[in-house]
Amino acid sequence: MAAITVFSPRTLPAVLKHRAVHKLGLLALAAAVLVPLANARWTGGAWPDALTVDLTKPLTEASTWIVDNRDTHPLFLYFFGHVSNAIVLAVRAVYLVLLAAGWAGVTALGALVAWRVAGLRLALGTVAAFLTCGWLGMWVPTMQTLALMVVAVAASVVVGALLGLAGGLSDRLNRALRPVLDTMQVLPAYAYLLPVVLVFGMGVPAAVLATVVYAAPPMARLTALGLRGADKEVLEAVRSLGATARQGLLTARIPLARKELLLGLNQTIMMALSMAVIASVIGAGGLGDRVYQALASVDVGAALAAGIPIVLLAVVLDRVTGAAGNGSTSAEPRRTGWLYALVAALAIAVAGRLMGRLDWPDAWTVRIAEPVNRAVDWMTAHLYSGVPVIGGTADWAAHFTTWVLNPLRDGLTWLPWWSVLLLVAALAWLIGTWQTALTAVLVMAAIGVLGVWTPALDTLSQVLAAVAVTLVIGFATGIAAARSDRLERALRPVLDVFQTMPQFVYLIPVVALFGVGRAPAVAAAVVYALPAVVRITTQGLRQVDAAAMESSSSLGATSWQQLRQVQLPLARPALLLAVNQGVVLVLAVVIIGGLVGGGALGYDVVFGLAQGDLATGLVAGAAIVCLGLMLDRVTQPTERRTKKGA
Amino acid sequence: MSEAVLAETPVFSVNGLWKVFGPKADRIPADPELTALDPADLRARTGCTAAVRDVSFDVRKGEVFVVMGLSGSGKSTLVRCLTRLIEPTAGTLAIDGEDVRAMDKPRLRELRRHRAAMVFQHFGLLPHRTVLDNVAYGLEIQGLGKAERRARAAEVVAKVGLEGMEQRRPSQLSGGQRQRVGLARALAVDPEVLLFDEPFSALDPLIRRDMQEEVVRLHREEGRTMVFITHDLSEALKLGDRIALMRDGKVVQLGTPEEIVGSPADDYVREFVRDVPREQVLTVRTAMRTPTDGDAVTGPAVAPDATVSEAIEAVARAGEPARVVDEGRCLGVVDADGLLGVVAGTAKEAV
Ligand SMILES: Nc1ncnc2c1ncn2[C@@H]1O[C@H](COP(=O)(O)OP(=O)(O)O)[C@@H](O)[C@H]1O
Ligand SMILES: [Mg+2]
Repeated sequence: MAAITVFSPRTLPAVLKHRAVHKLGLLALAAAVLVPLANARWTGGAWPDALTVDLTKPLTEASTWIVDNRDTHPLFLYFFGHVSNAIVLAVRAVYLVLLAAGWAGVTALGALVAWRVAGLRLALGTVAAFLTCGWLGMWVPTMQTLALMVVAVAASVVVGALLGLAGGLSDRLNRALRPVLDTMQVLPAYAYLLPVVLVFGMGVPAAVLATVVYAAPPMARLTALGLRGADKEVLEAVRSLGATARQGLLTARIPLARKELLLGLNQTIMMALSMAVIASVIGAGGLGDRVYQALASVDVGAALAAGIPIVLLAVVLDRVTGAAGNGSTSAEPRRTGWLYALVAALAIAVAGRLMGRLDWPDAWTVRIAEPVNRAVDWMTAHLYSGVPVIGGTADWAAHFTTWVLNPLRDGLTWLPWWSVLLLVAALAWLIGTWQTALTAVLVMAAIGVLGVWTPALDTLSQVLAAVAVTLVIGFATGIAAARSDRLERALRPVLDVFQTMPQFVYLIPVVALFGVGRAPAVAAAVVYALPAVVRITTQGLRQVDAAAMESSSSLGATSWQQLRQVQLPLARPALLLAVNQGVVLVLAVVIIGGLVGGGALGYDVVFGLAQGDLATGLVAGAAIVCLGLMLDRVTQPTERRTKKGA
Repeated sequence: MSEAVLAETPVFSVNGLWKVFGPKADRIPADPELTALDPADLRARTGCTAAVRDVSFDVRKGEVFVVMGLSGSGKSTLVRCLTRLIEPTAGTLAIDGEDVRAMDKPRLRELRRHRAAMVFQHFGLLPHRTVLDNVAYGLEIQGLGKAERRARAAEVVAKVGLEGMEQRRPSQLSGGQRQRVGLARALAVDPEVLLFDEPFSALDPLIRRDMQEEVVRLHREEGRTMVFITHDLSEALKLGDRIALMRDGKVVQLGTPEEIVGSPADDYVREFVRDVPREQVLTVRTAMRTPTDGDAVTGPAVAPDATVSEAIEAVARAGEPARVVDEGRCLGVVDADGLLGVVAGTAKEAV
């Protein structure tokens, strides 16, 4: 009996192999027919010119038309104009309120909210975080970012909750929304920037809208999920007492979905922060802009001074909203507490005002930029290269570029275009269904049609290298953490912090360490994707059925045998999910790496924005979307399973 | 129950009721060829499940009407059809003579708010509310003010024995206590009829017995009409004034506990009631014979609806046959032989 439990995982791959051979055979057959045809017509390795559609002209025309008509056309005057004005006004208003409250008032308010929601420790943490922001001389940019965040989060929550409500109440809408939201979830943040810039131009409205588009989906998903997940019998009981649909929604379904709603709020806030920082490339201002400007002139010290407040903001926001989701449910006894908290915050704000201490006093700031830059200079001088035996960080980066990235990129571009499509098809079909394979091939082909085959393969090579490194380190760490409670406990807080940091922030340390180029972009991507991969791997291995583990140890399996024969095969779904997540996260940062010399598609987007050449940027953005879809589908183990899990 | 009660309009009057799940369910009750099929064939042919098939019964005022059957026999579906929590496919259904299937939405809500309240197997409590607010929930739905509904809820909470727990949350209660909350919530709206869907199946045996006694007590005190679903025969026999036994969506027998145990309608029912201690269900009427001249007039008196086991005790103690006496009139005599025959199951089956 035990033997069956232990060895059944090994029979699984056998079945799989059988099906896999089947699929590969079919694919080979299709290739044998199609490839000679394609080869005869369009020879050569790169994507044939005959099959591309040049969108530059129409896109340029469209963008010129929009620029010309922005002030006259009724669509802009009466719709986009109002939207834009409303956003500017709202952000401005929040910003002024924050300034009027003064640093003492804002800090007090933040601390009291944290205290009510999450307890004393987080309140102290909030105070420390705000004070650090001021101390680093970043009070004003922090308030700018906060003002933008407040407006963007409010809009995202409203939009997301409404969409989620629709999806939660109507099966039809849910079926329509679900795939769209799923897809939006895997797209890199960068893809959203250009379309909004096209319509709104650079500036705060575009930044807020891009943030809303990026941050609303998790709210929508989780709202719908929460509303749908309500205990059926509770709802039946509510109905049996004669509740109207509205009563049922307000008194049962929404309160029952509380956990999901708060989780949605948490995710929306975190994604909004991430995007608000990235949106500095389209004129968001605030902390992100400081980082962006500093990175552009490779001023690591200044980037760090703005990066630290971003991290602190992220950690505080995540902990406080997370605590709200885990907290107990009682609402009423707390009302008076909230009242006291508000009054106290107001009192502190007024006191600050009366003492004329609204702005953060200059005397209380430290300039960390210079010492940091001196340290970086020292590093550049001593650690970059020529360190005996181990070489230097810049040497490593150069070696990585020469020995890994270049051959990979050259190899990919050398491959005939149809063989790339075939590879994509084979991979996607082996793991998923023929539908996923078809989508993957079509979006990959779309990249060729858009005429950005070569830069896309460049980006792809960086993604593949980063994913490979991430998976090697991530699986090793994950396995180690799954086998040692001590290691897991030690890792947990580190992973928690890393998982909350906005993507942008990761560029700062890698630029300090490796300078600019493709290797630093890959390094940032690895660091960004690692925590998720480690966490999913550890959880997957730990959740392996205890009975199977027990029966295998009762058979005297060594722990290595146990890992190889029981844990890894049974954790296969989790490992595949880790791969999928790793790929999606890596792509997001590799694209942003365009800012620090990563080149390829990410650079095209930045270039397009910087030069006002929206056509180039839009095409690159579309290619990023396609690449994201392709990578997601290729690594998505049978759609159904992921759907259920989500 | 006397004749006067029987003459009243039944609380529920169900006639030829069908509930079919699946695609194009409407055609099935109307098609004699399809209705003749057994469940497996029907599913194979049409993809439909007939959960309730042509069920008819009346629930009389003040009685405990038990619907019993194995899991999957359609009990839950049937009881949900009564307030149209599940929409019936065919048949007629009336409450106090009023056609339920013809009711519009507001009328139906009115029915659910004031006339029939339900108690669920897994309680269906709102986890984010206190016990008191759970109990008051039905009143809140009706639009009552906070103070009034809480005052009324507090009374009901006391009635089901949960004083002092008003401010707890469902997660802080044991299973039995949670079901008391469920019961209180249904009682709080003061409904004409209580519907129970296997309310005690999820509880431990000892707690279950407590709860059953609670229901018996409530019924004795208030005389409220109850429709009680269970898969547990002993529960059915203990609580039911009348029992409808369901199988595959059909009612195979409807009668008093004594009729079901004493004269099973078919082999299925006979198999079902085989292990029932008959002497505790059957009344002395089953064992009674007409008095002959030889019978003494001195024997102990027992009531006609006393159980056989009670009569056995009386006969054994007196050492002579007992007289069955109703309002001073002697209906018959039970002796040791007759009683033994009932216990052994060799006596002729009563009608
Ligand atoms: N919503 C539904 N859709 C399809 N079939 C159902 C549905 N609800 C119940 N059934 C089927 O109807 C039959 C009776 O179910 P139910 O009334 O729950 O039985 P019971 O309560 O006696 O266990 C079962 O075969 C069940 O599978
Ligand atoms: Mg049931």
